[in-house]
Amino acid sequence: MTVGLGHFLVLAAALFCVGLYGALSKRSSVMVLMSLELMANAVNINLVALSRFVTPADMTGQVFAVFSMVVSAAEIGLGLALVLAIYRATRSAELVKLDRLRG
Amino acid sequence: MDWVLAIPALPAAAFVVLAPMSRKWRNISARVAPLAMAVALLLSVFAFWQVTTFDPGSHTAAAPATSDALFAAGDAKAQPRPAEAVWRHRTVFANVGGAALGLSFALDPTAAVMLVIVTLVGLAVQVFSLEYMRSDDRRGWYFAVVSLFTAAMLALTLADNYLIFYMTWEVMGLCSYLLIGFWHQQEAPRKAAVKAFLTTRVGDVGFAIGLFLIWMHAGSFEFADVFASVPSWAPGVATAAALLLLVGAMGKSAQVPLHVWLPDAMAGPTPASALIHAATMVAAGVFLVARSMPIFEASGTALQVTLVVGATTALVGGLIGSVQHDIKKVLAYSTISQLGYMFMALGAAGYVAGMFHLMTHAFFKSLLFLGAGVIIHATHTQDMREMGGLRRLMPWTTATFTVGALALAGVFPFSGFFSKDEILAALWKDHQYVAFFLALAAAFVTAFYVSRLWFRVFTGHARTPHAHDGTWHMMAPMAVLSVLTVAVGWLAVSFSELLGHVGHWPEPLYYLPSTAAAMSGMALGWWVYGRSAIVLNTTALKDRAGYLYDMFAQKLYFDLTYDHLVVRRFVALANRLSRFDATAVDGAVNGAASAWSRSSDASDRFDATVVDGAVNGVASLVGRLGARLRAIQSGRIQSYQRYVVAALLVLVVLIVLKGA
Repeated sequence: MTVGLGHFLVLAAALFCVGLYGALSKRSSVMVLMSLELMANAVNINLVALSRFVTPADMTGQVFAVFSMVVSAAEIGLGLALVLAIYRATRSAELVKLDRLRG
Repeated sequence: MDWVLAIPALPAAAFVVLAPMSRKWRNISARVAPLAMAVALLLSVFAFWQVTTFDPGSHTAAAPATSDALFAAGDAKAQPRPAEAVWRHRTVFANVGGAALGLSFALDPTAAVMLVIVTLVGLAVQVFSLEYMRSDDRRGWYFAVVSLFTAAMLALTLADNYLIFYMTWEVMGLCSYLLIGFWHQQEAPRKAAVKAFLTTRVGDVGFAIGLFLIWMHAGSFEFADVFASVPSWAPGVATAAALLLLVGAMGKSAQVPLHVWLPDAMAGPTPASALIHAATMVAAGVFLVARSMPIFEASGTALQVTLVVGATTALVGGLIGSVQHDIKKVLAYSTISQLGYMFMALGAAGYVAGMFHLMTHAFFKSLLFLGAGVIIHATHTQDMREMGGLRRLMPWTTATFTVGALALAGVFPFSGFFSKDEILAALWKDHQYVAFFLALAAAFVTAFYVSRLWFRVFTGHARTPHAHDGTWHMMAPMAVLSVLTVAVGWLAVSFSELLGHVGHWPEPLYYLPSTAAAMSGMALGWWVYGRSAIVLNTTALKDRAGYLYDMFAQKLYFDLTYDHLVVRRFVALANRLSRFDATAVDGAVNGAASAWSRSSDASDRFDATVVDGAVNGVASLVGRLGARLRAIQSGRIQSYQRYVVAALLVLVVLIVLKGA
C-alpha cells in the first residue's frame, strides 16, 4: 500500500476534528490551548502534504508550514500568558466560569 | 279733591314702610299702622261729610254719562243709580293694544259709606290688636299685612273700573292668605290659608272670565262705559257676565257652595278674622254685586240666581253654625249666613237694603269677633264647652258682646233689626214670598245659635275663674263699635236717601214676623241651653236629633264632598305627576347621565385594554424576545464557538447540497 495525498488529508481532518472537539469541550483553558495547537498542526500537515503532492517543484507549502509553526509557538506563548493572568485574577482557569460578558 | 286718594294710600304706605324692615324694627314701629289708619279714618269722615253736603246742582262734576237713562226708563224693580259721584280721578297708566287702561277712582255715596265703615273697623281692629298681638314676635308683619289688606279694600271701594276692582280684589286674596296662615308654624293655619286661597281662586277665575266677556262687549273696564253699553248687549250676554261676576263674588263672600274656606279661616288671629269677616274680604263680594247691579238687572235671571244662592247660604250657614262648639266657628258660619242675607237683598234688587245690612253687619260682627278675641285671650280656649259663667268675670265684655249678639239676632232697637227689616221689605216688594219665608227661617236659626252661644259662654258654671276683661286697648274699640251698633240702625232712612233711594221706617208687616222669629229662636236657645244653666254638653240634643245633628255637624257634607270629588282627585293627580316626574323625567335625566357614565366607562376600558394593551403588548413582546435572545449571549466563549461551528456546518451542508 502506497501512502497518497488522500491519507494525509484524512489524517489532517481527523486531527482537526480531535482538536476541534477538544477546543469546544474541554473545561481547562490549557487543554483548549493544546487542542488549538492540534488544529493548527492539522493545517500544517495539509500545507506540507499539498505542497509535496500538488506542486512538488516549489517549496512554498513547506516554507509556509515552518512560518506557521513559528507563529503558532508565539501565539501559544501569548495564550499561556493570558491564561496565567486570568488565573491570577480569578483563581481559576476553567473556561465555563469565565462568563462575565453574559447578556 | 284728590286727597281722597290718600285714604287708601296711607295704610298702603304703612305697609311699604313696615315691610322692608327687619323683624325687630318692624315690631318697634308697628304703631305706624294704627296711626295711618286713624288719619285715613279722619279723611274718610271728611269725605263722607263732603258727600252728604254735596249739592249736584251747584257742582258740574265731570261725571261721564252714567247709566241714569237706563234707570229712568226702568220698571219698578230698577233702583235709581246711587247718587252720582262727587269726585272722579282717572289716569291712564298703560295702553294695551290701543286700549287705555286707567287708574280710575270715584267717590260716590256708596263708596263714602264704605270708606267710613272700613277705616272705622280697621282702626278698631288695629287698636285691639295692639294688645291682642302684643307678645307675638311677628306682630310687625301682622300690622303691615293688616294695613295692606285695609288699603286694598279702601282702594276697591273707590275703584271706578273693573280693572282696579280686580287688582285690589286679588291683593285682598293675598292678604287673607297671609293673615289666615299667620301662625304658619302650625299645621292647621297653613292648610286653612291654602284652602282659602284656592277656594276663592275658583271664584276669581269666574270673575276674570266675566271681565273678559265684559271687555269683549263693552270694550272698556270703566263702570260708566260698561253700564252704558249693557242695554246693547245680545240677550244672554248680560246673564253670562252677571253670573260669572256672581261666581267671583260667591268665592270672596263665602256663598254656598264656595263657603268652605271661611270657617277654616278662623285659624288666623282673631282680630284678623274680625277684619276679614266684617269689613274687608267678605264684603268685597257683596260690593261687587252691588256695583255691578246694572248688569244683574239687565239679566234678571242672574238676580234670581243671586237670590237662590243667598237664601240657601243664609239657611245653611245658620244651621251648620248651630252645632259648632268653637266660638269662632259659630261666628264664622254666622258671617256666611248674614252674607247670604245680603245676597238675598241684592237678588231682590234691594241695593240699599244689601248695603245697609253690609254696614250694620260690619259693625256688629267685628264687635262680636273682637269680643270673641277677648274671651279667647282670657280663657285660653276657643271651645264653648270649656267656657261658662263669664258674665260675672268679664262684665264689660259681656255687655258689649250682648249688644252685638242682639243686633245679630235682629232685636229692636239694635241695628240688625233695621237692616233685616229692610231686606224683608225688599223681598216682599219684589214678590219673592218663598225667599221671604226662608229669610224668616234664617232669622229664627240665627236667633237660636246666638242665644246658644250667649248662654253657653256667659251663664252657668264658671270654668275659668281667672278670666277678666281686657285692657283699654281691647275694650275701647269694642265700646265704640257697640255704640255704633246701637246707633247706626236709626240712620236707616237717611242712609237710603243718601244712596238716592226713598227711605222708610219699619212696617209691621215685616217687623212683626221678624221679631217673632227672633224671639222664638232665642226662646228655643234658652230652652235648650239657658234654662238649667248646667247643660254643658250636647248629649241630649244629639240624642234627640241624631241624624239631623250629624248632618249639620258634618257641615252638610260639603267638605267631605269636595275632599272626595276634588281634593283627593287632585292630590292623586299631583302624586301621579310627581311619580311621572320621578320616573319619566328624572329617569330620562338620570338615564342620560348613567348612559354617559357607562359610555365613558367603556371608553376607559377600551383605553385600558386595547390602547394600553397594544402599547404594553408590543413592549412585553419585545421584552420576551429580548429575554430569549439574551440567553444566546451566555458569555462563555465555548458556546459561541459551538454556534460558529454549527453555522459553518450548516453553510457547508447548504453549499454541498446546492452544489449537488
